[in-house]
Amino acid sequence: MYITQHFWELLFQGIRLGSLYALIAIGYTMVYGVLQLINFAHSEVFMSGALGGVFMLTALVGNKGKVPSGFAAFEYTALALVAGAAVGALVAYSLERVAYRPLRIRHAPKLVYLITAIGASIFLYNVAGKLFGRNNLQVPESFHSGKVFVLPGSGAAGPRTVKSLDLLIILAAVAMMIALDLVINRTKLGAGIRAVAQDTETAQLMGVDVNKVISRTFLIGGLLGGIGGVLYGMFHAVTYTMGFVPGIKAFTAAVLGGIGNVRGAMLGGLLLGIVESFGQAQFHLQWVDVVAFVVLVGVLLIRPTGILGERTGRTA
Amino acid sequence: MRTINRVRAGAVVVAGVLALSACAGSSSKAGGSSGGSSSTSSAAGSSSASSSSSSSGSNSGKPTLEIGVQGPLSGDNQALGLNIEWGVKLAIKQANDKGDLPFQLAIKEADDQGDQSKGADAANLLIQDQKVIGSVGPAFSGPTAASGKLYSDAGLVAVSPSATRPSLTSSGYKTFYRVVANDSVQGPAAADYMAKVLKATKAFVVDDKSQYGTGLSTAIVAQLKKDGVQVETDSAPAKTQDYSQIASKVASSGAQAMYYAGYYSDAGVFAKALKSAGYTGKMISGDGSKDPNFITTAGADAAEGWQFSCPCLDAGKDPKYADFASGYKALANADPGTYSIEGYDAANVIISVLKGLGTATPTRQQVADGVAKVDYQGLSKEIKFTPTGDIAGSSIYAYEIKSGVISLIGDISKMPGIGS
Amino acid sequence: MTTSILELSEQVRKLRKHSAWYKNPIYGRLAVIEALVLVLSILTNETQGSPRDYTLLFKDSWFCVRGVQFLVGGLIIWVLAEIWRARGLTKIAAQAAQPVRNLRGNPVLTNPWTKRAVLLLVTVIAVLLPLMGMFTLPYFQSVLAGQVGVYVLAALGLNVVVGWAGLLDLGYIAFFAIGAYTTAILSGKLPVGDDGNPELHPPIHLNLFFAFPAAVVLTMIAGLILGAPTLRLRGDYLAIVTLGFHEIVLNVANNDPKGLTNGSLGATGISTFRFNLFGVHYDWRTNDSKPYWYLAIGIIILVVFAFRRLEHSKVGRSWTAIREDEVAAAASGVPTVKYKLMAFAIGASTSGFAGVLATAKITAITPQNFPLTLSIFVLAYVIFGGMGSLTGVIVGASLMTFLPAFLQGPPSWFNDGRPVVDPKDVPMWIGAVLLVMMIFRPQGLIPSKRRAQELSQAEHGVGEADAMTGVAEGVGGQ
Repeated sequence: MYITQHFWELLFQGIRLGSLYALIAIGYTMVYGVLQLINFAHSEVFMSGALGGVFMLTALVGNKGKVPSGFAAFEYTALALVAGAAVGALVAYSLERVAYRPLRIRHAPKLVYLITAIGASIFLYNVAGKLFGRNNLQVPESFHSGKVFVLPGSGAAGPRTVKSLDLLIILAAVAMMIALDLVINRTKLGAGIRAVAQDTETAQLMGVDVNKVISRTFLIGGLLGGIGGVLYGMFHAVTYTMGFVPGIKAFTAAVLGGIGNVRGAMLGGLLLGIVESFGQAQFHLQWVDVVAFVVLVGVLLIRPTGILGERTGRTA
Repeated sequence: MRTINRVRAGAVVVAGVLALSACAGSSSKAGGSSGGSSSTSSAAGSSSASSSSSSSGSNSGKPTLEIGVQGPLSGDNQALGLNIEWGVKLAIKQANDKGDLPFQLAIKEADDQGDQSKGADAANLLIQDQKVIGSVGPAFSGPTAASGKLYSDAGLVAVSPSATRPSLTSSGYKTFYRVVANDSVQGPAAADYMAKVLKATKAFVVDDKSQYGTGLSTAIVAQLKKDGVQVETDSAPAKTQDYSQIASKVASSGAQAMYYAGYYSDAGVFAKALKSAGYTGKMISGDGSKDPNFITTAGADAAEGWQFSCPCLDAGKDPKYADFASGYKALANADPGTYSIEGYDAANVIISVLKGLGTATPTRQQVADGVAKVDYQGLSKEIKFTPTGDIAGSSIYAYEIKSGVISLIGDISKMPGIGS
Repeated sequence: MTTSILELSEQVRKLRKHSAWYKNPIYGRLAVIEALVLVLSILTNETQGSPRDYTLLFKDSWFCVRGVQFLVGGLIIWVLAEIWRARGLTKIAAQAAQPVRNLRGNPVLTNPWTKRAVLLLVTVIAVLLPLMGMFTLPYFQSVLAGQVGVYVLAALGLNVVVGWAGLLDLGYIAFFAIGAYTTAILSGKLPVGDDGNPELHPPIHLNLFFAFPAAVVLTMIAGLILGAPTLRLRGDYLAIVTLGFHEIVLNVANNDPKGLTNGSLGATGISTFRFNLFGVHYDWRTNDSKPYWYLAIGIIILVVFAFRRLEHSKVGRSWTAIREDEVAAAASGVPTVKYKLMAFAIGASTSGFAGVLATAKITAITPQNFPLTLSIFVLAYVIFGGMGSLTGVIVGASLMTFLPAFLQGPPSWFNDGRPVVDPKDVPMWIGAVLLVMMIFRPQGLIPSKRRAQELSQAEHGVGEADAMTGVAEGVGGQ
């Protein structure tokens, strides 16, 4: 059996992809929590984060193919992540200010939000394409991704080797998720976000500055999405259309976990990554999307609001 | 306080001066559209065409004829379309500069995004314009299938620089020609290359599930089997998010050679994954991946050693092509890419026919008849067409990435062990 | 060093305290205008960015004459706008527009006969369109028949699902694809055998007109299959499931189970419509788009008639009730599941219909013709035009499909026949139009009366504008 022979390898690949999905899914789910909006433009937040990372790396490392080592490697990687987070947060924040806030003031229907988000998404990625060219950008390596350890299993050792880039992706994602969980559950801002998510009007009556909370929510979502973008860029490729597919996947993950629920998004992301990884091994790569969506529909039929979604609300 | 104000004012002035002086390369481009705010008059590249026509258009009141270009000028695979477009622009510019034609030539672009459903619209855009007397394109096979009949009915000649699906020339399109060998030539040649030159006894073929990839991989697999090579196949649809697993499969399959049939943007990511999975066999891909962007995407490290089969000929460093390469670079501000030469040749085929006709008012029918009988020494090859529109006797070339540059290995049919 | 910084910051603070000029809103407006102008200077720049120099476009649009021109232009606009404001011209303009506004309640306009007359006029214009001006050109005829007609039809169907029943469907084009593949199969081009040759394996070879009923039945069944288990899901969950359905349909088509769809190669050479009735023979030829346009108009008129009757029938009212408040509707005895399924099936079959029409026009299909973005775009057409309003949807879909075609290949009287914008930039402009439109006119171009009312009520704080995404209270945070 392919799956049993390669179990650890598949699990590891699933977790790696899943933690990227989770980082993006958090942005979807947080915005959904406070605005009940599927923020389609979040995929562009992710893309712009990746661009930010690439620009920082290009400025620091250059395109000559020299890979820094030692402290420089560490520093450059950290700076790239910070740049990605900053650009992602900035784009998400401006999106809220420019596109969504005017609608919120007018109490526009949710579908109008959705189309605005779609319009913003189309606009943003095409502007990015116009500004920086429409081919894959070169992502300079900020460190040499060497072998760390080898996973147990049979067959050639190459595919089972865990490299430092893989670990960076997983560790960064996990660290961000833990930090976010603390912010949501332990801080005043987190309490505000939770309050607005539960009932905007009541929260406002209780003295929560709703506008501020929503802005901050976008900032946090953008931050995580931006970091996700940089990591994804190191592992995959960076181009203006890169946001679309991971965006859809992350949205799926958020729904899988119960949209609006932050822990649900993390769980959903990881789960989706693992499902895709094992689904791919069992069937073929070309069927992986079908497998993912069938699992999603299956879960929703049993739990209509996702794994961790609560069965509350009148029409739920 | 006052000093601060003064400093601020000074800064503004300095910034203004700097700004005005640092006007980027736009001076040449803005020439036609100094209006500034309303400078949306034409597509990016057309500035060059218009400038060339204005430079020589001033000395005579010749009529203008147009050569159309149909291809993916936007969308996912636009790099190939733009390569062709610049090649055509160069051919037109050279013809105009020579000035021995009784008319001025101009380009007319029709963007089909490489999308079959847009093919008919793009073709109609060219067909309805009576000034268009020939078309370079359609570039991709899908749009060609959707527009071949339109060209045929309109009697407008369509010389494709890159549509390689075999069935196109057997569909009864009367005015369709192509200057490259089709997949039923490239596929077997690539397979022979893997079997006989690389001496692989076991091969892995991965396609990207696109029209192009499926067609090419089918042809390769068939020939590999004929050559007695053990073949394993799999698919990784374009835009796959994680190539690690398919890379693992290739790495643990023990295949000495791996062929990827797909486009460069995905091939580059796949190359990264293969490198990471520690695959040590030969990695080969086709014309859709033979593009500098492949190296950009994969990174120099992972791209090193990849080989390509391609019915296209690269300008490279051969002195024969130096003129072309420098002219192209001056015009496009980029090196010639895949199918640039073919686009240039296709345009020149039409231009040579026009020259032969020698009239300022050629009809489309005359041009179509002329192209059918053409025997033109193009830059890439001698161009002669079979009655169905395929190029007569053409070659498939092999390329390899050596220290970060795609360089020509040679004509596959002339390699030792092949053809005998 | 430190003292100097302290001094400086002290000075800055003083400066701020003294002159809070920047707090004056007129400078805020200047900043907004200049920012917009700077963005525009990039968007309208012909130069395309390059991965070799990421700053190229900024240099080329801001830090040169062009940037100064734009900034000065912005300044002039700002000055004019401020003068306009200071003179209270806004009020005068509003007064001048008052007669137009009064027209709305005019009995002549609300008379149903006026409406019918307008409808007739529009139909006549549509029929005569291919004989007028630029529409005599084959390119625009091809766009009319292959894009405008087809997507107006599709948008009309989606309007039933989204605009009337309030179900968010992001996988609508999946049904379109099913219709297209039905057409290919019925015309004998699919499935193919191992040798890839369809002609050797013709299970059926029918006149394409028979594809219409077949596609309608098939897509209706597909709609029911998708709808029956999923319609109990709340708004956004339904959205992702429909999106997933689209992905699944596409993947199955691309993966070619048993040669049924011929994978990514799809089908080519699909026959076109023809009839041979009572001795009259007619063939829709691929080199002339006009007959397809007339066919599309005919179908659209039929569909509009049918939908208008539906809208004002018991079914239409039930849909409205479900959209406004599903729980209340169910409580007052509306069989919600039945009506939701009905909306889904009607929408799906319209999409399938459009799919047949499009396939006959293109005569070749591959899975790549039905990307996920197309589903999203059709939804955008509906909302852009005015959700729930048939006129709005028709106008919205026509404009949004025609605009990109026009920008890419205008007739010779416009911009000398050269593309208005670089084809590469067209999607960017479409996105911008969508974005600006939604921000400044969220109700759409021509909103339905009811929705406009709901929206203005919501704006004044009376009730919610929309019950469609359900009441999401409590499903948030942690």
